[in-house]
Amino acid sequence: MIEIVNLHKKFGTLEVLCGIDLKVNKGEVMVIIGPSGSGKSTLLRCVNLLEKPTSGQIFFAGEDITARKVNKNLVRQRLGMVFQSFNLFPHMTALGNVVIAPVQVLKMKKDEAEKKGIELLKKVGLTDKINVYPSQLSGGQKQRVAIARALAMNPEVMLFDEVTSALDPELVKEVLDVMKDLAKSGMTMLVVTHEMGFAREVGSHLIFMDEGLILEEGRAVDIFDNPRHVRTKAFLNAVL
Amino acid sequence: MQGLIDLVEKYFSISVIKEVLPYLLKGALFTVVFSAASEIIGIVIGLATSVVRVTRIKVLNQLAIVYVDLFRGTPLLMQIIFVYYALPYIGINLPATVAGIAALSINSGAYVTEIFRAGIESIDRGQMEAARSLGMSYIKAMRYIIIPQTIKRVLPPLTNEFVALIKDSSLLSVIAISELLRTAKEMMTWKLNPSSLTAAAILYLVITLPLTRYVSYMEEKLKRSGV
Repeated sequence: MIEIVNLHKKFGTLEVLCGIDLKVNKGEVMVIIGPSGSGKSTLLRCVNLLEKPTSGQIFFAGEDITARKVNKNLVRQRLGMVFQSFNLFPHMTALGNVVIAPVQVLKMKKDEAEKKGIELLKKVGLTDKINVYPSQLSGGQKQRVAIARALAMNPEVMLFDEVTSALDPELVKEVLDVMKDLAKSGMTMLVVTHEMGFAREVGSHLIFMDEGLILEEGRAVDIFDNPRHVRTKAFLNAVL
Repeated sequence: MQGLIDLVEKYFSISVIKEVLPYLLKGALFTVVFSAASEIIGIVIGLATSVVRVTRIKVLNQLAIVYVDLFRGTPLLMQIIFVYYALPYIGINLPATVAGIAALSINSGAYVTEIFRAGIESIDRGQMEAARSLGMSYIKAMRYIIIPQTIKRVLPPLTNEFVALIKDSSLLSVIAISELLRTAKEMMTWKLNPSSLTAAAILYLVITLPLTRYVSYMEEKLKRSGV
């Protein structure tokens, strides 16, 4: 589904990604862990073309999306992204947030989009918040709206960028539960997270990144039970 | 004591004010119409120019900067005189009313550009990223996500700018437009009594006070909503 080949990303002289190779198959939940500053978020943002890679290629469903002639808007329609800081549109209700892209980008009819939007908000457990503005929602509720908003575009892959990092601890679970359901439904997911319990339980694959490189890669449970790289061991010891 | 009586007689003569009021009201109407028309055109110019400024399209951006610097950095009075008296030499003959609105609009557009630019740039970067990540084009993201949020934020400074424009429209008196100040001056010559100026000042206040009050109210509301 996604294949990343020798990806480099520099900000000025700082090299954040130093040659990443990664393959994500359909239906996999690829969890990305590692210390802050290791390049996890940048990697995810490159996949969504929010950052322009310095060199290397990213293939999405067989197409090189880093090529010049690629229509970024079309690629992004097929990749859902959820951000750490929610980034809900504050001037729209929860439902408004969910329907704006299907209506304006996919040209879906408004009532059809709303019907689907209500369904999605129901799925993330926010039936009673449909007409509420983001300022009236808790962090966990905001993030669930953001997930519904991304799902409304029927993406083939979902990207999660530390989506629980800005949440109060008691609100983390409600968001992770939605993500678990999504994983169970067969969605292909790339998840940057510090939630090790989630990574172990839901991640089918896991990579450990440090200083712009993938140091360890494999099945999530294997890495948690039996980390091989010394830095992975040190990291897991520190966070578990 | 005599000075005080003279002052009241010269500047606060109720009988004179009563007599000139109908004319002044007509002048006030002109002032409102000229200012409102110029503000609307200024907003259209300013919004377009501000989008050029934030997208940083090279040549256009440079032109926009020159435009803003030029019209914010020179006196409006001079701009009005140029549009009305200088342009005819290159074949552009505008009636006073059109020249007046043109000068005010272009001048106000320069200020509005900076208001909108600051407004757009104050919107969190994540808003644009979220919109783009949903597959929206830059234009759509601007139109549906960024600009609507900007409008809310710029309403108070925009209204302040409108208040300034209403007062500045008095400069149109130099090209013989019968707006409020010019009417008041004519009444002063006619009645040999400057009370019409006092009445005109009060009329300016009647127009601007609701607007300035509205700004305070909006600012308070925005502060509370945290948008």
